[in-house]
Order: sequence, then structure tokens, then C-alpha cells
Amino acid sequence: MVKLNIKKLVFDAVVFAFLWCVTLVIIFRPDEDAYLLLNRNVLIFLAGAFLGALISFGFSLLKIKTAGEILFPSTHQRDLSAAVPWYKTVWGWQIAVALTATFVVAIVKTRFSVWEILDIDGFQGAVRLFQGVFNPNWEVLPAAVNNIIETIFMAFLATALAIPFAFVLSFMCARNIMKGPIALPIYWFLRTFLNITRSVEALIWAIIFSVWVGIGPFAGMLALMIHSIASLAKQYSEMVETVSEGPIEGIQSTGATKMQTIWFAVVPQVILPYISFTVYRWDINVRMATIIGLVGGGGIGTMLIQYQGQAMWREVGCIIVVIAIVVWLMDAASAYIREALK
Amino acid sequence: MENILQITQLEKTYPNGVRALKGLNFNVKKGEFLVVIGLSGSGKSTLLRCINRLHDPTAGSILFEDKDIAHVQGEEVRDVRKNIGMIFQHFNLIPRHTVLSNVLMGTLGRMGSLRSIFGLFSESDKEKAMKYLQLVGIADKAAIRADQLSGGQQQRVAIARALMQEPRLLLADEPVASLDPATCHTVMDYLKKVNEELGITIVANLHFLSLVRQYATRVIALKGGELVFEGDPKDISEEWFQKIYGQGAKEVHIN
Repeated sequence: MVKLNIKKLVFDAVVFAFLWCVTLVIIFRPDEDAYLLLNRNVLIFLAGAFLGALISFGFSLLKIKTAGEILFPSTHQRDLSAAVPWYKTVWGWQIAVALTATFVVAIVKTRFSVWEILDIDGFQGAVRLFQGVFNPNWEVLPAAVNNIIETIFMAFLATALAIPFAFVLSFMCARNIMKGPIALPIYWFLRTFLNITRSVEALIWAIIFSVWVGIGPFAGMLALMIHSIASLAKQYSEMVETVSEGPIEGIQSTGATKMQTIWFAVVPQVILPYISFTVYRWDINVRMATIIGLVGGGGIGTMLIQYQGQAMWREVGCIIVVIAIVVWLMDAASAYIREALK
Repeated sequence: MENILQITQLEKTYPNGVRALKGLNFNVKKGEFLVVIGLSGSGKSTLLRCINRLHDPTAGSILFEDKDIAHVQGEEVRDVRKNIGMIFQHFNLIPRHTVLSNVLMGTLGRMGSLRSIFGLFSESDKEKAMKYLQLVGIADKAAIRADQLSGGQQQRVAIARALMQEPRLLLADEPVASLDPATCHTVMDYLKKVNEELGITIVANLHFLSLVRQYATRVIALKGGELVFEGDPKDISEEWFQKIYGQGAKEVHIN
């Protein structure tokens, strides 16, 4: 009796479908337009996946191990055939072929070219840029310092405003707190909501808010805040999920309410890691704020993109030095603080 | 003597299908020091956690002062817990808080959520906390963080926290199992003092028969979730011992 192992089947099916598509491309050499026929191409991929699943199922009937079986074993028994070298196994060849194909496709897709790197015109452009960057124009230093201060405070406010939201959300996103018929749906809803929020990059949020509230540091701050809430809530809630049950039982047994139990039994266990995560988040936010400035989030990033647009490399050099010093200082400071909190 | 606890046909099946308690029947009289013995996994801890509703019983009834509490919900569960104190094998104190603050947590059940979160414990509560710390002989440590105390001291703080609830019943789940033999007796002596001087009924899980004989006024034994012995601690003969702990088991003495 072969039990259906869905994860294994899906894994093998996707690997096969990928190889199937690569093979078809090599044989038929489709043109640009053919790549754009999304519906047809998805169908071809699904057909490959279906075939792959069938083959995978066939292998499991023959009791031959595929890569999917190795990753997601269907039985918990350790088998004794582990000593066979990989090139004598189906899964070994499956992984080797799939990785080689992925590597080749990646090289083709990124138009990897040694000639571009060695091209003399392009190389001279890079030399000009480096000459400028390594010979900074210190006249823009005062403006750069003022802008990076703006960036640091933007990052600070984003982190500070995110804390209370993330704090409350973290308990509502922790599996060990959210038990029972009402709490569980809330848990799933918030988890999904935060996962979606987090998967939208801060850069995208910055674009949204620069349309909403106008270009400038406020838009950047809002973008960082949204991203920080989602990230901190996730990190915080993982901390809450690892607290020991003992103190919780201890407080519950006194007849405490749910809120008192969280405050007296859970919070003391998580408060130090919380502070540590928050300091690190501020550090990350300063770096992200620089990038966000590039799309109109204000601060040093906006200044950088203006000079870069005009190819004023000596001014760009000055800005890069300022950013590097601040990021290095923040990084070191946050590392020391986090070490002290352990 | 009047019964403080009447347990009838108590069943507990965990979600994973384990039947921890299979229809227990027994009574606890007011003022007793009842000890529950049995192997690990015999259902002792489950039994205590069903009584103060840290676990929900699957079936049966638990009459606490003549009110069935086996299946009450919400606020009523908290009412049950307010009147039943509990101490644990691993003490379950809050390590980062002071001893005094840990003892004050015993009043949480009677306090408003908001007031307690701002730490607004009343002066009379603080005096009471000091009184109970004195009772367990540890008042001089009131300002020290709980995680800086030894195991035996932590368990005494836990007793003070439970007393702070002014409970009518005190549950003790393996109260001395993680303590060394010498400290063991100190903690047991304080439990006895609580039982005799304050008249609080005690139900305790214990491992060592020598402790049972010394402290219990009555003993019950569980095996595989069923009651296999009930009676005077002096009546546990070699034969009974083998029955409870399995063939070939040897008694370990603790002095």
C-alpha cells in the first residue's frame, strides 16, 4: 500500500515541470512573442507538472527514492540503503540535473557576459566614477550631515511609533496565547494580514505613501513604520511562543485574568529580547531609510539620487562617506546594546 | 467531618487520545493533609490541574464546598482558582520580579486588571504579604529578585504567594521533587504548619513514601489513571507498595 505523500509529489512535479519546459525551449527555440502567451505557457508547465507527479508516483510504486522522498520522507523509518553513493541513485541524478539546468538558465536570463566587464569604454566610465567618489567634494558635507540627521530621526520615529502596535499584535499572533474558538480565527487572520504586509517591501510602501502624503521624509517614515510593525510583530510573537509555561500556570492558578497573566507571566520573559529586537530594527531602519530616500522618501537618499542623476560623482562620494560612517556607527552601537541586554 | 472536595467519576482524556484519569472517586475532608502517590504518568498532576481547572475535565463532577466546578466556564473558573492555591514542582515564580512582588501576585484574582498592571497594590496587601513571608521564614529576602533564591527558598515564596489568595484548599504538585533532601523537609514542615495552624486543607502529590508516612493524614494511590489504594499512610505494606509501583520496586528512604 503506497500512501499518497502530497509534499513529495508536488516537489518532484515542479522539478520535472521545470526540466520539461527547459527541454521544450531548447528543442523549439520560441521567439519573444511566444514567451508572452502566458495562458498557453502555464498550461504547458501544468502538463509537465502532471507528468512529473505521475512519474514520481511510479517511482514510489517501484520503491525507488526521488529527491522529493528525501526531502519529505513518507515513513519515519530510517532505511539501511543510505550508504549507496549519490551517482547510483535516482534522486542524486535528479538533483544534479535540476541544479545544472537552473544554473545554465540563470546565466542565460541575466545575459551574463565577460565581454561587458572587459569593455574598454564602459571600464573608463567606471574609472571616472571611482575617481569622483574617492575624491569627495566636501562642500556638500553640511547639507549631507543635515540630511542624514533627518534620516536618523525618520528611522527613529518609524521604530518608536511601530512599538505599541507591534507589542499588542505580538500577543494576538502567538499560538500559545491565542487558544479557543474565538481567538484562533483572529490569530489566523492577523498572521495572514501581517505576512502580506511584510511581503510588500518598504520601498513599495514608500512609493504608495509618496503619492498619498507627498514626497518627503513623512512618506518615508510612514513606509518604514508599516514595515516595522509587521516585522517586529512577527519577531516579538516568535519570542512569546517560546516562553516557558511554568510562570503562566503559576499566575493563572491565582485566578488572574487573561490580561494579568500576559502582563505578569509573559511580559517579564520577553521584555529583554523585545528591546534587543527594537534596537536592531532602528539600525535596519536607518539603512532602509537611505534606500527609501531614493524613491522620494526624503533624507539622505533623496539627496543622493539628485547628485547621482546629474553624474556629480565627487558630491556622491561625500554623501557615501557620510552614510558609511553613520551606518557603521549605528551597527556597532546596536551590537553593543544588544550584547549588554543578553 | 465535612467534605471540602467530592470527586465523582472524574475522567480526563487529552486531545491526543491519552486517558489520564479513568473515573476517579474520592473525597477530601476539611483540614486534611491528603497525599496522592503513584508513578510518573499515573495521572497525579492531571488530577490536581483538573481540580483548579488549569485543565478541563472530560467528564464527571468535582464538588468544591458543595458546588460542582468541573464544567464551569469563564468568570466562574477564576472564582474557583481564587479559592484554591497551588504550588508547583518548578515553583513557577516570576524570575525577574522581587520576592515581595511575587507574593503580591497572589492577590491578582481579587484585583482589577488595570490597577494591577500599574502595580497599585494596596498597603494592607503589602503588610499581608510580609506577614506570610514571615510565616514561611523568608521575610528578610523580600526585596531580592526571585531568581537569586535557592530552590527551597523559592518554594517557600510560592507557598506565601498561594497563602496570599487566602485559599481554603492548597494543591501541591510534587512540591519537593526538585529539592535536595535537607530542604525537602523544611518545605514539607512549612506545608504542615500551613495545614495545622491556618487550617488549610492540602492535597499534595509526593514521590517519597517516607515523606508520606511522616506528613500525610491520609493517602490515595493512582495507577494508570485509576484509584488503587485509599487509607492511612501506615497501612501501605510491602504488598501494596509493589502493587502501586510495580513488581520489584524498592523503596528509597529520604532523611
